[in-house]
Amino acid sequence: MVDVTLKVGGAAGQGVQTVSEVLSLILARHGYYVFSIEDYQSRIRGGHTFTLLRVAEQWVSGGKGALDILVCLDEATYHLHRGEVKEGGVILGKTGNEAPGEDVRLLPLDFEGVALRLGNRVFANMVATGAVLAILGIGLEEAREYVRETFARKGPEIVAKNEEALEEGTRLVEASGLSSSPFLGGHQNPSRVSRRYLISGNEALGLGALLAGCTFYSAYPMTPSTGILNFLASRAEAYGLIVEQAEDEIAAINMAIGASYAGARAMTGTSGGGFCLMCEGLGLAAMTETPIVVIDAQRPGPSTGLPTRTAQGDLLFVLHASHDEFPRFVFAPRDPQEALNTVIRAFNLAEKYQVPAIILSDQYLADTRWSYDRLSCEERPIRPSLSWDGASPYRRYALTPDGISPRLFPGGEALVVADSDEHDERGHLTEDLALRKAMQEKRMRKLEVMRKEMRLPFVLEGKDATLIGWGSTWGVLLEVRKALGQKGKSIGVVHFSDLYPLPEGLRDFLKRFPNPVVVEQNFSGQLATLLEQETLLPFPKRICRYDGLPFLVEELVEQVAEVL
Amino acid sequence: MATLFDAHDVEIAWCPGCGNFGILQALKETLDELGYRPQDVVVVSGIGQAAKAPHYLRVNVFNGLHGRSIPVAFAIKAIRPELLVIAESGDGCMYGEGGNHLLHAIRRNPDITVLVHNNQVYGLTKGQASPTSGEGFRSKAQPWGNLSRPLNPLSLAISQGAGLVARAFAGDKEGLKGILKEALNFRGFALVDILQPCVTFNPVNTYAWYRERVYYLGEDHNPEDQIAAFQKSLEWGDRIPLGVFYRNPQPTYEMKVEGRAKKRRNLFEEEEFQRVLQEEFAQFL
Ligand SMILES: Cc1ncc(C[n+]2csc(CCOP(=O)(O)OP(=O)(O)O)c2C)c(N)n1
Ligand code: SF4
Ligand SMILES: [Mg+2]
Repeated sequence: MVDVTLKVGGAAGQGVQTVSEVLSLILARHGYYVFSIEDYQSRIRGGHTFTLLRVAEQWVSGGKGALDILVCLDEATYHLHRGEVKEGGVILGKTGNEAPGEDVRLLPLDFEGVALRLGNRVFANMVATGAVLAILGIGLEEAREYVRETFARKGPEIVAKNEEALEEGTRLVEASGLSSSPFLGGHQNPSRVSRRYLISGNEALGLGALLAGCTFYSAYPMTPSTGILNFLASRAEAYGLIVEQAEDEIAAINMAIGASYAGARAMTGTSGGGFCLMCEGLGLAAMTETPIVVIDAQRPGPSTGLPTRTAQGDLLFVLHASHDEFPRFVFAPRDPQEALNTVIRAFNLAEKYQVPAIILSDQYLADTRWSYDRLSCEERPIRPSLSWDGASPYRRYALTPDGISPRLFPGGEALVVADSDEHDERGHLTEDLALRKAMQEKRMRKLEVMRKEMRLPFVLEGKDATLIGWGSTWGVLLEVRKALGQKGKSIGVVHFSDLYPLPEGLRDFLKRFPNPVVVEQNFSGQLATLLEQETLLPFPKRICRYDGLPFLVEELVEQVAEVL
Repeated sequence: MATLFDAHDVEIAWCPGCGNFGILQALKETLDELGYRPQDVVVVSGIGQAAKAPHYLRVNVFNGLHGRSIPVAFAIKAIRPELLVIAESGDGCMYGEGGNHLLHAIRRNPDITVLVHNNQVYGLTKGQASPTSGEGFRSKAQPWGNLSRPLNPLSLAISQGAGLVARAFAGDKEGLKGILKEALNFRGFALVDILQPCVTFNPVNTYAWYRERVYYLGEDHNPEDQIAAFQKSLEWGDRIPLGVFYRNPQPTYEMKVEGRAKKRRNLFEEEEFQRVLQEEFAQFL
């Protein structure tokens, strides 16, 4: 089975992401499964950035650390990563003189020099792409098509130059003899005629919003959520969305609330720091019972933290964010495929219960590209339930048995009054404390109905241990299960995408899993703490990573083996 | 005078004699005289004494957070351009806590009207200096007297080329109504700073103090002239000008996104949903 890992590294601005994106796309079009993880720094030029790309014949859902191919767009990449190349591997590009091991081949190539000979430094990316494709044993047809699609607007000369660059890269590898035993050749994917879908977390979240009927998105740029803003902006004119870059996150959430009050499906997105600014707004959505969806793409904190790295440190924060108590939904989709469904669900449930719904993403999910045989969308947007009989005087906050009151949009016959102050059934502010009590009870009553909407975790059984996780770690947990399975261990996975309110019957459900080990990307094990609190079951075994990097398969396998 | 906009069975929580009453009455009459129906009007406010005003009107109300009325109003107008959208709040709310939103609303130029009840004090929190309190203004929080200079909201808005910039006085209903009419009829962002005596916490800027000083801009003032408007906006002290200082018609935010509403797809229909789904999925192949 082909399973090749390659890393493309360079300085910011050198085109690392371009090379890896083009490679991913071409490989997916050739029917391979790819999985790519971005690692970049909080800067525009210089420094160091890389993409880890896994190419396989079978579906993959996590990244590996040991490299088959290291592509060095600069020499720093060689020095930083040559130790990761395994036996039989290749290092190409701006390499040093010594191979790190006997079985590692070096192929010094001057991508930039070749590009300059073609007339411009910008062609270096295509020279590198051509070289890597040759090493993998992939012909240039798809690559040429890509070049034609992408550069058509820039004119035939640019298309021709880019094609030449691809060919040059291929020729250099062929001249070295390295292409004689290509990494993917000989294992040609039998189903290579069928292309694979390729989608990142941010794209999926944006797409989910589009399909949910979101017509208003307001956000202030903040890594790693900005991709959602970019995606929705790219669709705004075609689908008639209002996408507004707000002056700050406070404005962003208040705009979303205003839009929702007025009748739109509205969403805002940010990262932890911006979410901090949104807290009062979150309470406003709760108090005025205005449905909104908020995406928090987590990154390490506190404060500015590590802007471009990953973390799952905001779970307990978003669960409690904003003062006093109110019901909210919290979801953490496990991969892009689920993310697009999750967003629709979040919109629907926010709408149905007139509450805020929070979606936890993170830098890993946001920037990671996954490949699939097919994409599917099971969820459908529900129509707003504007329920008022028109006879009795309209009461926006009527006290009802399930806590859900008739919602209307302004501009119809009835006047719609919403207030951030405690209010009476009509929506007017009140200091009648008995009424306050009744209103708080009404809002909180929704929580128990909301709980019934929540789904139990995803389960794969195992006898030796059970890995418990949430959100973006799902894929790597599957990989670890498989890897340990090959070593004769039976490892189960219990993975939460629905985090709050936690589904009913969780205590009995969780009791049956042997030797639970909670795996999270935060310091203390926040899901474990939450589960202990809600189920009174102990979860003492916790594997926590909080250096800003995602779990890779081999390391996590070792860590799990240690606690078994 | 009774109007369509009179709210019934609400208890008004303002102090007797407060300048807010004059503003409330003028606004009701203006809306009525302009022929609006209550259901076509949304008044958004923040928090403070002034921010309670929408509850005392028969309109759609969104009484949001302290300082945050403008982003809410902006979004309501963006989604429902056919509604008349007013943001109404105090000087602390609009120029202090929400100052940033004011700056950026001027840039966006949504067709909303911002009414600021400017009593030069924080009323609801019992008398602290506000962004527009005079230097030396004493309160329990500033017993030594306000050390900061007051913000000049008119100069600020005029310097940034806001759509319409005006000042009115709560103590002159007819004058105020005239200015409100111009502001509400204006297509674009309109800011009306309304001088509002606070009889409880502002012993400096009283009705009498204002009456001695205010006068209306005359025919000789050209509101299309930004420099002249700016110059007028600097006048404050023995003489305080009222009226429309500046008027700068320009395309509104809603005009710029006007075509979009028609492009929205009905995703509640399965067929249409499938079409969008297939179009979009194809982008990822
Ligand atoms: C986030 C937040 N901070 C502080 C307050 C307390 N607060 C309520 S009203 C107000 C100031 C009111 O002043 P202004 O906006 O001028 O309105 P006025 O009462 O004078 O009409 C303050 C500080 C609050 N409600 N919310
Ligand atoms: S405190 Fe001042 S502004 Fe508030 S109601 Fe009383 S007089 Fe009016
Ligand atoms: Mg005030």
